[in-house]
Amino acid sequence: MTEGEPLIAVQSVRVAVSESANTTVRVDGVSKQYDLGGTVTALDDVSLDLSAGSYTAVMGPSGSGKSTLLNLIGGLDTPSSGQVVVNGQDVSAASEAERADIRGTEVGFVFQTFNLMPRLSAVENVALPLVFDDWDRARRRERARSLLSEVGLGDRTDHVPSELSGGQRQRVAIARALSTDPALILADEPTGNVDTETGAQILDLFDDLHAAGNTFLLVTHERHVAERAERIVHVEDGHIQSVEDVSGGEH
Amino acid sequence: MDTGESVRITLRSIRAHKLRSALTVVGVVIGIASVITFATFGASVEAEIVGDIETSNAGNIYVFGTPSGDDDFDRTLQPVFTEHDIQELEGIAGVQAVLPRGIVQTQSVQHGNQTLARQQVTATRPASFTPGVLVEGRSFETDEEAVVVNERMAGSFSENLTAGERLTMTMPDGSERNVTVVGVVNGTRGEVPVSEFARQPRVYVPIDPFYESVVESPSAGVRQRAYPQVTLVVDPREIPETQSAIQTYLTGASDARSLSADDTELVARSGNDFVEEISDVIERITRFVTGIAVIALVVGAIGIANVMLVSVTERTREIGIMKAVGARNRDVMQVFLVEAALLGTIGSLLGVPLGLLVGYGATRYAEVTFSLAPLWMALAVGVGVLVGVVAGLYPAWRAARVDPIDALRHE
Repeated sequence: MTEGEPLIAVQSVRVAVSESANTTVRVDGVSKQYDLGGTVTALDDVSLDLSAGSYTAVMGPSGSGKSTLLNLIGGLDTPSSGQVVVNGQDVSAASEAERADIRGTEVGFVFQTFNLMPRLSAVENVALPLVFDDWDRARRRERARSLLSEVGLGDRTDHVPSELSGGQRQRVAIARALSTDPALILADEPTGNVDTETGAQILDLFDDLHAAGNTFLLVTHERHVAERAERIVHVEDGHIQSVEDVSGGEH
Repeated sequence: MDTGESVRITLRSIRAHKLRSALTVVGVVIGIASVITFATFGASVEAEIVGDIETSNAGNIYVFGTPSGDDDFDRTLQPVFTEHDIQELEGIAGVQAVLPRGIVQTQSVQHGNQTLARQQVTATRPASFTPGVLVEGRSFETDEEAVVVNERMAGSFSENLTAGERLTMTMPDGSERNVTVVGVVNGTRGEVPVSEFARQPRVYVPIDPFYESVVESPSAGVRQRAYPQVTLVVDPREIPETQSAIQTYLTGASDARSLSADDTELVARSGNDFVEEISDVIERITRFVTGIAVIALVVGAIGIANVMLVSVTERTREIGIMKAVGARNRDVMQVFLVEAALLGTIGSLLGVPLGLLVGYGATRYAEVTFSLAPLWMALAVGVGVLVGVVAGLYPAWRAARVDPIDALRHE
């Protein structure tokens, strides 16, 4: 927390945000190289803005760089060059501890493989981000219970993940993503591990949450999933190929 | 993150691997228990021996000669303290009684039709036997053909010796002396401090008419009896002053000084000096043995480190999840350190009573009174927790440095 970039840099970010207060995420000229024997470029000079309350899908084949983009926006990774600003905070310049705080409070992750803590109950899993955000126990549990009711699991609060179906697990994960009331929800193939019907229910839940004002960024390789969003960003070979507007589509 | 939550996560993890955690704890239990056992046993032995000496010998000062640089009191058997020295010592302020001791050679001691060869016979004054040490009978008097025996001696014959019975002592020249046992004692006033279980069977005889070692006194110019060892009973309130006055006489004008070889040191030691020396020796042995037991504790620590490393690997994905939902490196570190510390703490808490139990058994076996070593106990518990934390540091550090992206991909 105490370390980090000079104050001036932080202030310049704030200025940039005040210019466009409606922007939740700004990705500006971001590149990412991995050193795996040789240099592999996963993202090459990518720029993308997500406005508050928007619903964006990122599509592309595997290895296109879409997951890297998601990891950079979610603060799991840092770009080799360029800037990522999430809700006014420069993720690319943040220290490791600051990025942990951004992951905990500004961003909520929903993963393909759910990624729930196997030995914690549903309510404890949903409350976990609040533990790291220093909420006291009673408030944590209250918040977690109400979120679980919201996603339709009010009667499953004390079950551990292995006692829940795939769809239920993903709902727990969604409730967890919402727990700190983040500026952005990042979903990486959220329907990849459930059957079509359950997947549709999850996407319906996303629609409801989007309608309630949440900002979504969803990564998928399935067209019908991507079409739930307002726009589709096509990524290939580390570049944004095209941005397709699908708002007012079939849904 | 609050400690309560990390303890909760840790307990779930320990419960999920009951056997593994239990075996790890057993390692620590063995380490802590061995340390406690040896420390407790050492403390018990020390308390027992020191207690024996302190109760009976507080006001005694032992005077003997010893080769320079060697403070061992059982190498002191040159008869150099003459009657003249005894008289001079009696004149020193604070001295209440002077009890010379000499050795009388015998071939054997016979009671009824049983003969024991080469028994220790000590010549001393009647004042050596206070009512406190007499088990039965009375002290002998000077010039009396009578002896006092200690309990070990009384028990050495198939029929226990009692006051009033007769003994026959065969002297080195083959002559026999018939004597009456007038008393049985469980020690003597002013004996060199030894513990109860180191006591040898002994016969005590009056100096007159039994003790015959004589030398010519350099000061008196006549042949006098001389003794290898003298005990002075002094006023307990003036031990340091009296001790130094005695020491001054010994190293100055005493016959003993003139009669001793130059490299022989004449020393006056108080009971407390012995207590300190013996305590020191026992403590050193205890520390050494306990130090060996610490090896077991180190092995326990390695067990914790090993299990924690396995745990970190197994829970890589969980670490990734925690990081994805906002855990900082130090939060992750905390979770794993708490687990290691908890294993260490549980080990200590179980190890202390086990160690005490085994230590108690050992004291019963060695027939010494059980004493606690509270400092060692506190230390063992502290070390147990510390061992957990230290053993957990590296695994926890590894856990904290896990890359969340890799971790989330980890199966």
